[in-house]
Amino acid sequence: MNENLFTPFSTPTILNQPATIPIILFPAMLVLTSKHPINNRLATTQQNLTQLILKQMMTTHNAKGQTWSLMLMSLITFIAMTNLLGLLPYSFTPTTQLSMNLAMAIPLWTGTVMVGLRFKTKNFLAHLLPQGTPTPLIPMLVVIETISLLIQPVALAVRLTANITAGHLLMHLIGNAALALSTTNLSLTLLTSTLLALLTVLEIAVALIQAYVFTLLVSLYLHNNT
Amino acid sequence: MPQLDTSTWFTTIMTMLPTLYLITQLKLLNTNHYQPPLTKNSNLQSHSIRWQPKWTKTCLPLSQPQQS
Repeated sequence: MNENLFTPFSTPTILNQPATIPIILFPAMLVLTSKHPINNRLATTQQNLTQLILKQMMTTHNAKGQTWSLMLMSLITFIAMTNLLGLLPYSFTPTTQLSMNLAMAIPLWTGTVMVGLRFKTKNFLAHLLPQGTPTPLIPMLVVIETISLLIQPVALAVRLTANITAGHLLMHLIGNAALALSTTNLSLTLLTSTLLALLTVLEIAVALIQAYVFTLLVSLYLHNNT
Repeated sequence: MPQLDTSTWFTTIMTMLPTLYLITQLKLLNTNHYQPPLTKNSNLQSHSIRWQPKWTKTCLPLSQPQQS
């Protein structure tokens, strides 16, 4: 039962060749680029969406923070497309792999810390101690704040992995249960409606991408502006 | 848990890096956002009228009174 349940999350191979390479590259192909001033509806919708997300995300930053806009846009596009494609049956979602999320989270978080340390060192170090703490508590609080800073990349990666994995697992389990109950026809309708509701709720995988990018944004904003 | 099997980690990471940092960014850079074609202001006529006297002034230096 254990082996059966977790096999959708092992990296797929076709004839012993890694199939993860085309699977990871595929969502990038769905971003349309065209040279015409007036496009068809799909390309226009994508362009409008990109501009909307860009404006929403980058207006809170000053000029220095806005140099990161391409990076953050490609991040949110990549994670959104990957998560949405993973909702199709029998598909493989690369964001369930802890390796990929760690490799995304650690360099980006380190980048924000480097920017903050290099350009606003005193401000950055001042964040390690909240205002108005009594003097005997200061060493302990500095340690606690440092730990909470160092845990940010791990939290980013594990949050994304765990949420997507748990969602997919839940859909598998409920689908299997609904199938098993279909012979007795007892609570079939109830279970399938729960599965459908869970699927729509799982389209809040897109909200998870928001969570990822916004958490990244928060640390960038903090290090750049304050 | 198959996600903790580190034998595939290298392939996954090395595929993700060019996808995220190269391909997606290039695709986003190559989407052209055109301005709507009627946003340019069309009152250039007034400027050209004001420009003509200056042009005639500079082109006819001999018509100005000699100072020396």
